[in-house]
Amino acid sequence: MELFTLYWKLVGAQVRGQLQYRVSFVLTCLGSALLNFVEFAALALLFTRVPRIAGWSLWEVALLYALAETSFAAAEFVASALDDFQIRIGEGTFDRVLTRPLGAFFQVLAEDLALRRLGRVAQGVFVLAMALVHLSLVWTPQKLAMLAIALVSGVAIFFSIFVLAAVFCFWTVEGKEATHIFSYGGVTLVEYPLDIYSDWVRRFATFVLPLGFVSYYPTLFLLDRPDPLGLPDWMRVLSPLAALALAGVAWYGWRIGVRHYQSTGS
Amino acid sequence: MLGSLLLYAAVTRVAFRRQLAYRTANLAGLVTNAFFGLLRASLFIALFQASPQSTIGGYDLQAAATYTWVTQAMIMIVCLWGWWDIETTIRSGDVVTDLARPFSFLGYWLARDYGRAAYFALFRGVPGLIFGQLTFAGGLRWPSTPIDATMLLVSIVLAIAISFAWRFLLNVSAFWTTDARGLGAITGALVMFLGGFVVPLRFFPEWIQPLLLSLPFAGIIQVPSDIFVGRLTGAAALAALATQAMWAVCLLALGQVTVVFAVRRVSVQGG
Repeated sequence: MELFTLYWKLVGAQVRGQLQYRVSFVLTCLGSALLNFVEFAALALLFTRVPRIAGWSLWEVALLYALAETSFAAAEFVASALDDFQIRIGEGTFDRVLTRPLGAFFQVLAEDLALRRLGRVAQGVFVLAMALVHLSLVWTPQKLAMLAIALVSGVAIFFSIFVLAAVFCFWTVEGKEATHIFSYGGVTLVEYPLDIYSDWVRRFATFVLPLGFVSYYPTLFLLDRPDPLGLPDWMRVLSPLAALALAGVAWYGWRIGVRHYQSTGS
Repeated sequence: MLGSLLLYAAVTRVAFRRQLAYRTANLAGLVTNAFFGLLRASLFIALFQASPQSTIGGYDLQAAATYTWVTQAMIMIVCLWGWWDIETTIRSGDVVTDLARPFSFLGYWLARDYGRAAYFALFRGVPGLIFGQLTFAGGLRWPSTPIDATMLLVSIVLAIAISFAWRFLLNVSAFWTTDARGLGAITGALVMFLGGFVVPLRFFPEWIQPLLLSLPFAGIIQVPSDIFVGRLTGAAALAALATQAMWAVCLLALGQVTVVFAVRRVSVQGG
């Protein structure tokens, strides 16, 4: 609890700093929302040419898109400082963190909270609402719970990916861009139905890096649809387990990384 | 005249060589571009499988898949994710040394940008296309005649000029506002959409296509990609090149005028 108050104090200072440049803040917020809006508009454009892609209608894909987008944006928002962790390692400012009497992970997180990313969260929520309105699902308590569980699990999964990408920096700060495959690439991957990809991609996104549990499997559950690829129905509700497992890996990875860390020495 | 040409050529060469230092970063970027290329190609394959017609917007599947791989290759050539090298010097004040030099400020940066772009064409664009060629069943659709290849080259050169002029204007807006990057965030999304990066402009409703194709943004991604896949050939391609050239000249001229006004605002402290 004390940690939480401290987090708000540290992050609050950050946030007030960002709000000093009000116009910039509004513009970048709009910019990041617009970027995702045009992505969605592009998707809608494709659906003017065909009624369904791989058996999915526009609003069904929109549901996938919105679940992926919202949880990714929320995770990215909290993990802002992890996303440019290579700079902190490269410049040696991470050393300073290690000398203070508080958990290193906590301090790094509190160093930045990029408000502009809220634009993207808002856009995701907007598309989610639109999709739910258009799909006219038959709501049950299970489905409502699933929607909430999917979002929370999705945030946890993407947050863990950001942590693992930061852990990668303990070994090399060059080549950080390659980790974008799993973060930015990951969200793009699950914005579309997994059944459009080759087998190995689907297996990877289910059993190795559980990205499919962010949107694909929860959406199948919400739409009362079995997995077109033949996985058992109970797979569709395993998002929390997948998220916990990945979070565990990320937590363990971070601990090993910090122990391995030997400053840049410059 | 010859002297200054040699100077700009030297600037281009140095800019090209400067990029060579970031080998690992380029490799990582290449992997990322290739991965996204695969995702985007998969979507188009699924789209064509669902379509009753064999062509959409005048592209068959091979042309459409090639189109996505070409746009992936263009990302770094035209700096689609943003470029703030000049804005950084305006913030730090280093810009005054560049302005004081005995050559054109815009010309200097344009020459630098060609060096940077040439590096990314060779070491990011070409390998990405080869990866596309190897992973897409049946391979990509490459320009088939020397004339098409020449027009493609001209089109890419013009695309770099248009994108540079656009980025230049955004950067030098920092002389007047501290919000240049915010402006860039918004216009960046527009360039991606209206340039035909996210989806080809020919997937848009018919009635709006002529308008979109005549904007400068189409000249950054859509036109070179269309020439590459053979969607634009002959007279139509020449007309598109003329539009590109027109926008390149207009925007560069606008950039030059902006510099003249910007210089009046700069006051050098100390030194």
